[in-house]
Amino acid sequence: MQKYSNTTNFCARRSSGYSRNTNTVRFKPEVKLGPVTHTVFVALLITVLGLIYLTQAAKITGYDYESEKIDKEIARLTEQKEDIEVENARLTALSTVSGSDVAKDMVKPATVGYTGQ
Amino acid sequence: MFLDFRKGSRVRVLAVFLFVCVALIIARLFQIQIIDHRKYVAMGESEYVKRLTIPAKRGMIYAMDSGDPVPLVINETIFTLFLDPQVVTKPAKVEEVIKKVAGGNVKASISEALKDNASRYKVVATELTRKQAELIKKEKLAGVGFQETTRRVYPENTLAGQILGFVNSEGEGQYGVEGALNKQLKGVDGRLESVTDIGQVPLTIGAKNVNQPAKNGENVVLTIDRNVQLEAERALKAGLDRISSRATGSVVVMDPQNGKVMAMANWPTYNPADYNKVTNIELFKNPVLQDPYEPGSVIKTFIMSTGLDTGVVTPETTYRNTDSITIGDRTIHNAYKGLLGNITMQTVLNYSLNTGAVTIAEKLGDGSIDLKARETMYGYYHDRFGFGKYTGIELPEENRDLVPPDTPNGAAITYSNMTFGQGMNITMIQALSGFSSAVNGGAYYAPTVVNGAMKDGKFKPRTDIKPKNANVLKPETSATLRGMLVAARNTLYASHNEPGYIVGGKTGTSETLVNGSYTQSSTVASYLGFGGNGTPKYVIMVRVQSDGMNLEGGIHAEPIFSEISNWLLKYLNVPKE
Repeated sequence: MQKYSNTTNFCARRSSGYSRNTNTVRFKPEVKLGPVTHTVFVALLITVLGLIYLTQAAKITGYDYESEKIDKEIARLTEQKEDIEVENARLTALSTVSGSDVAKDMVKPATVGYTGQ
Repeated sequence: MFLDFRKGSRVRVLAVFLFVCVALIIARLFQIQIIDHRKYVAMGESEYVKRLTIPAKRGMIYAMDSGDPVPLVINETIFTLFLDPQVVTKPAKVEEVIKKVAGGNVKASISEALKDNASRYKVVATELTRKQAELIKKEKLAGVGFQETTRRVYPENTLAGQILGFVNSEGEGQYGVEGALNKQLKGVDGRLESVTDIGQVPLTIGAKNVNQPAKNGENVVLTIDRNVQLEAERALKAGLDRISSRATGSVVVMDPQNGKVMAMANWPTYNPADYNKVTNIELFKNPVLQDPYEPGSVIKTFIMSTGLDTGVVTPETTYRNTDSITIGDRTIHNAYKGLLGNITMQTVLNYSLNTGAVTIAEKLGDGSIDLKARETMYGYYHDRFGFGKYTGIELPEENRDLVPPDTPNGAAITYSNMTFGQGMNITMIQALSGFSSAVNGGAYYAPTVVNGAMKDGKFKPRTDIKPKNANVLKPETSATLRGMLVAARNTLYASHNEPGYIVGGKTGTSETLVNGSYTQSSTVASYLGFGGNGTPKYVIMVRVQSDGMNLEGGIHAEPIFSEISNWLLKYLNVPKE
C-alpha cells in the first residue's frame, strides 16, 4: 500500500507571528472605565435623550399655538358667516320684501291679458 | 461609621429629634404619594387638563321657494351682559358704554345693579348681537362679562309656526318638525379632553388627550313652499275674517303626484320665537293632523270611488230618490231637496245627495249595508285610503280613528252615516292623502313635509319617495272620478275657476256633536278639490268652523279654495289645457 505525505504545510498567522521578521502589535487600553463611570455615562445618555424629547415636545407645543390661532380664526370667520346668513335671511324674508318701499309703490294692474300657451 | 453620642447629650437629643422629623416627613410623603395618590393626581389633572363639551349646532330648517331652498329657521348667537359690582372700577364709564351700545337691550337699571355689592352677577342686558358685544368688549371694562348662547331665529315670523314647532330652554325641540325630527336636528355633542397651558390652550402632549368633534345637526329642507304657505295663510285668514272674528280653520295644499305638502296653514297660530308668551297650549297643536273630525260630504268622493272601482255604479247609474232613505230605525234625509225621481250618480255628487251615497253602500252589499258592504267599505276607507291609520307624516302626535265593520257599533247605521262623512272621525291629512290617491291615477303616497337636506350648502333632495300602495284605484276609475268632480264643481262654482284649467272638488258640511246629539247650529264647513290640466298639479283641503255658527262648505270654505287654487295655477305656471 502506497503512503502519501503532505507536501504543503499550513501555517496559521498567529503561530507565524512569532516567527522571524514579523511585526505584531497588541492593543492595550491605558484608561480603564469603572462601574461609576459607566453609570455616569448612562445618566448622561438619558439626559441627552430627555433633552431631545423636551426640544421636540416644545416644538410640537409651538405648533399647538399656531393651530389654536388658526382654529380661532376659523371660528371667527364661521361666526361672521353665520351672522351674515341671519341678516340675509331677515332681509330676504317675504314680510321684509313685501313691506319694502319698492313693494309699497307697486300697483295692481287694471287688466291682465294672457298670451296663448 | 457609628456616632457614639453620650447618653442624654444635646447632640443625641438633636439626632433623635431629626430622626423623628425625617420619619414624619417620610410618613407624610407615603400618605401623599401612595395612599392619596389618586386624589392628588385628580387635583393636578383638574389644574392642567381641560375637559370641554363641544356643543353640536342645531340643524337649520329650510322651506322651498320656486324650487330653491330658503332658510325658515336659523341659529343666531346672542350675548347676555352681566356685571360683577365688586370688580367694576369705573361705574360711570360702564353705565355710559352699556347704554350707548346696548340701547334697547338693557333690561335692568345699571346704576341699581352697580350699587348691589352683595351680588357678583347682575344681568343688565340680554339678546345682544355679536357686534354689540364686541363693541363693549373693546372698552376693556373691569367687571363686565358676557354669556354666549344660541337662539332660533324665524325670519318669516309666524309663517308655518305650527309646522315648525319650537326649541325649549333645554334645547329640546317640541311640537312640529322641531319635535318630530329633534334627534336629527340636534346632532351629537363633541368632547375635548386635553392638557392645557396656563392660557387654556390645548396642547398635544398628554397621553390621554381626547378630541372628539361635535356632529352638527342635519339641515332639513321641508316640502313647504314659503310662497304657497304665505298665500294659504293669507287666503285662510281673509276667509275667516269674512265669517267671524271667532272663526278658526285650516288649509292643506299637497302635490298629489308625490305626497309632498306644499302648505299647511292654521288659524289661530303663533310665532315660534315667542312660544313662551303663548297662554293657550292648544295653539301649539296642529289641527290638520291632531284634530280628527267628522268630515261630512267631502267623503262622498270616497264612497263614489269605491262604487266606481268595484263596478257597482257608473256616473250614469240611476236610483230612485225620495229625499230620504231608511236604514234600520233611522231615516236619513238629503240636505238638498227636490231632485226627486231617477237620479244619476253624477247628480248625487253635484248636489251632494245623502240618499245616493247610502244607495252606493247598499249596492256594495246584497242590496243592504250588510257585512259584505261594510267590509268592502272598510277595505277601501281603511286599507286603501288610509282612514284610521297613521299617515306617517313627519309631524308629532298624529291622530287616527275609524270604526271597524264587525263591531256592534259598526253596524249598518254607522256605515250608512259613513257614506256621507258622519259617524267617523278622520284628520284633514288623512282625507287629503286619500283624495290624492283617488285623483292621481290610484297611487297612495304617504304625505311628507321633508323634501331633503342641505349638505355643504347644496340641496340634496330625497330619492326614496314612492307610492305606499300603487293600486288604490284603477287608473280608469281615477279618471272617471276626476271627471265627476270637475262636473260637480262646475255645477255651482264654474264662475270661480280660472278659465282654461281643470279644477274639480266637493263641498262638505258636517254637523257637530253637542251633548251627544248632532246639531245644525254649529257645523264644520270644508272643501276638498284638485286643480291642474290633464294631470292634477295640486290638491287642496279647506276646513272652517265657528262655535255656534251654521257654516256651509260651498259658502264658507269653497271661496278660500278658489282663491288659493287660482293663485296656484299661476304660481306653478301650469299650462292651460
